[in-house]
Amino acid sequence: MRPHALLLKFPGTNCDAETARALQAAGFEARILPFPLADREQLAETDLVVLAGGFSYGDYIMAARLAQIEIETRLGDALHRFRDTGGHLLGICNGFQILMRLGLLPEGSLIENRQGRFVCRWVRLRNRAPSSPFLSRLPETFELPIAHAEGRFVAAEAEVQRYLADGRAALTYEEDVNGSLGAIAGLQDETGRVFGLMPHPERFLTALDHPDRPPGTGDGPGSGYAFFAGIHDHIQAGRAETAGEASR
Amino acid sequence: MTARTADFDTIPVRDLTPEDLTGLSERMKLSLSGEDMLAIQAQFRDLARDPTDVELEVIAQTWSEHCKHRIFNADIRHQGPRGAERVDSLFKTFVRGVTEPIMEARPDFVLSAFHDNAGFIRLDDDTAICLKLETHNHPSAIEPYAGANTGLGGVIRDILGAGKGARPVASLDVFCFGRPDTPPEQVTGDLIHPLGVFRGVVRGVRDYGNRMGIPTVGGAIQFADGYLHNPLVFCGTAGTIPIADIPKKVEPGMLVVAVGGRTGRDGLHGATFSSAALDTDSHEEDKGAVQIGNPIEEKKVTDMVLQARAEGLIGFITDCGAGGFSSAAGEMLSELGGEIQLENCPLKEPGLRSWEIFLSESQERMVLAIRHEHWNRVRELARIYETEATVIGRATGDGRLRVVHHGQVVCDLDGGFLHEAPRKRLTSTYRPARAAPVALPDAGEAPALLRALLADVNLCSREPVIREYDHEVQGNTVNKPLAGPDGRCPQDGAVIRVDGTGRFMALGVSLLPSFGERDAYRMGLSTVDEAVRQVVAAGADPDQVALLDNFCAGDPTQPDELGKLVETARGMAEAARAYGTPFISGKDSFYNCYDTEQGTVNIPLTLLVSALARIDDPAWITPASLRGPGNLLVMLGATAAELGGSALARHLGQNAGTVPTLDPPTVREAYRRFHQAVRQGLVQSAHDLSEGGLAVAAAEAGFSLRAGVEIDLDAVPGARGLEALETLFSESNGRILFEVRPEDEAALREILDDSPWAVVGRTTEGEARLVFSRGGQTVLADSLSDLKDAWTCGLTPYY
Repeated sequence: MRPHALLLKFPGTNCDAETARALQAAGFEARILPFPLADREQLAETDLVVLAGGFSYGDYIMAARLAQIEIETRLGDALHRFRDTGGHLLGICNGFQILMRLGLLPEGSLIENRQGRFVCRWVRLRNRAPSSPFLSRLPETFELPIAHAEGRFVAAEAEVQRYLADGRAALTYEEDVNGSLGAIAGLQDETGRVFGLMPHPERFLTALDHPDRPPGTGDGPGSGYAFFAGIHDHIQAGRAETAGEASR
Repeated sequence: MTARTADFDTIPVRDLTPEDLTGLSERMKLSLSGEDMLAIQAQFRDLARDPTDVELEVIAQTWSEHCKHRIFNADIRHQGPRGAERVDSLFKTFVRGVTEPIMEARPDFVLSAFHDNAGFIRLDDDTAICLKLETHNHPSAIEPYAGANTGLGGVIRDILGAGKGARPVASLDVFCFGRPDTPPEQVTGDLIHPLGVFRGVVRGVRDYGNRMGIPTVGGAIQFADGYLHNPLVFCGTAGTIPIADIPKKVEPGMLVVAVGGRTGRDGLHGATFSSAALDTDSHEEDKGAVQIGNPIEEKKVTDMVLQARAEGLIGFITDCGAGGFSSAAGEMLSELGGEIQLENCPLKEPGLRSWEIFLSESQERMVLAIRHEHWNRVRELARIYETEATVIGRATGDGRLRVVHHGQVVCDLDGGFLHEAPRKRLTSTYRPARAAPVALPDAGEAPALLRALLADVNLCSREPVIREYDHEVQGNTVNKPLAGPDGRCPQDGAVIRVDGTGRFMALGVSLLPSFGERDAYRMGLSTVDEAVRQVVAAGADPDQVALLDNFCAGDPTQPDELGKLVETARGMAEAARAYGTPFISGKDSFYNCYDTEQGTVNIPLTLLVSALARIDDPAWITPASLRGPGNLLVMLGATAAELGGSALARHLGQNAGTVPTLDPPTVREAYRRFHQAVRQGLVQSAHDLSEGGLAVAAAEAGFSLRAGVEIDLDAVPGARGLEALETLFSESNGRILFEVRPEDEAALREILDDSPWAVVGRTTEGEARLVFSRGGQTVLADSLSDLKDAWTCGLTPYY
């Protein structure tokens, strides 16, 4: 059986279809679940919970704040428990903002970009945690697009340095794109099972998506594919191990 | 407590004098002419009763220019360069008249045109694609942010209401503003400075499009003094749908269901407001006509409708646009007949009058017709997607549209009368501008002119705007608005992957209002050519291109204004007919004028042509930036001394010169051969020649900074006898500059054959420089990196 991914869809989530497509391409069975249908039982049956990009509830008030309240109201600490029992969580862009607000990632905030504007562009990223299941198949540097207005990571300076030193700051920008401290683009938690990033791996699924591809480029894999394939392989391998232990 | 009764008036009209009738139209803001009011009076005399205010409002909205396109259907006596003639409907003659023969000859290409919210062309066996553009000019003049916000929201709903619900996949936005450096003292009264309009409009589009998760992939911004009083805001959205879901039908007994936002007092009289001139009072008086957008509501409705369509629950769907429930119910029920119960419509606030509920243009509302047995599931989907669905009426099959409010009939009109607006009779005249050559500066000025043009607000990079739009959401934007090694090089048409098909759609837009100021007919020709050229340069098959026409004009009752329109439409039709590119939808917007004490100020007549095209193979998709040194540069198409309306003439402040003409059969054949070269993998990069001509196009192609560019002006097809500045800056149609490997030249020669083309230069190693020479002498040499900086920073002072 293929690993299962569950995408929670809030009103205003708008990257769910392409994220599900990317998960499926990497080998997942992916299901998009509108949030009013979500409950604790569904979490028990999935391997990876994904919070996709978009503007949950419009991101009015501040990014991800309403989604945080809705999740806490409806699911309580279910996502924390899901992590504690071995589940994986991925938040992309708005999903990253939600994971931050839920306290599932290292302390800090994603605030308005320093330029005070929405920014849509491609960026070069540095893989600082090659052992992360999400980054294991990615090279030292690679490109992905970003598209956000509130992606500037801020935290106490000492914390930022700790995250950079211990690999929790798993992804950094190769240049300053939004004022993020430490140029942090993505974070993982201590368990390595929760991962959040501002860039959009689902938008670089094939080589064709790259803005500077040569003419005649086919639809071979892009860096985004490697991202999803990494976590797929990790979960698959973990299952094989568990199955092996059980049969022993 | 709110009274649970209908709130309407009966308006006595049967005994009014013509003057009183006109006064009534003005008082009620109906925007109906004296002739229209007389027709209404006659109808109600026949019925032996007086109308209700609801009925008058319904008639006014249905007959409004915005909804009925009465100018485009008018009977016109035209006096032009070809003498006196009768144009029996611009629409029939120059739009449908182009499309119908193409539809007959190629029944498998256009699947639907003109009768639905948007026209469809076939993408493959199972999937169709569509495109629609609308204008939201007057609201954007008064409230730039909200006007543009709801302009985009409205056209997205057009796509959602096309067929049984198409999926919106990409948006285009085209704006015309006054010049950003307009001195503040020229901005009188309640006018908003072009910079304020510009910023508000961009943010309005950004906040709606980004939240909807629809990539804004292309567009244009035009700055000219003529748009100071009346900016233009075109919003477009493309969609995809399974071909089986294109036909839609209401059946007797079906429930009429409103989905989405609630109905309030926002957006009253939008249709009639947009059908009249703006004036100094508009900014205060007409604010109620501007709607308030809520993109998340629309996102929820979109998710719900697409799910309902996938589950086969929808019989018919349409959006609530101009005219609100009135136009939606009219579209759905006018033939079959049905009844709407206003008391069932969910309201934002209590106390709305009957006509307000029926005519309100509150946003984010769709109307569905569904079978009774599907109601429970539709209601369940509304719950899942956190929106609201309410049964507001049903289809009866008795041929009458009745509107009932708390048991009282407030509107009972015969569909036949409602859709038989009196036909307008108009006269028009046209004389092209007097021929006068452009007085050219010395050829030694070429380098300075190129720098100035690249930095010109009309030609420079739109990067600051483009970055604020999410142009990649949905993960299908293959050709992005900016690309190249640093992601900052200009591109031609946008290319979107159509998920699950292996195919792609290309989108292009063109508007050339400055051509029209000298020669309207040639503006029509050129605008079609440029839109087609953009998608062909991006890799589309020229035999798989469909077009949209969007006209914006001033006061059409002025014969000179209408004359420009007639000649533009004629040129447009001639090019489209020869190219075999059908129009599949379009829209026209009149009264883009502003009444001042000095008289009426009309906008420059503006034609926007958009191209929607098919790309079957990803290998066809062609980048616009140079790939590397050692390649040949090839020019397709002939150059002539055509500087009329060009960027150079405008820069020199000269209203002179010959506007580019078009030889459609030659150019069409050249595009076909170019496309063959693309299919054979011979084209490394291609950039179309548009504003600023060869000089600007060659510089832009070189912005990848991968190679230098050397071009011999003597080799340019048609350049014999031209001044160097003419070869550099002329904006002749039908031209593409492209890059081929030297080893492919022989194969290319075989394909291009006797089309006008030539190898004009090469890409060079070393520092990236742009060099044009003539007769062995250098005419222009400059650093591409410096030129790129000038181009990149052009908008920086303003945005």
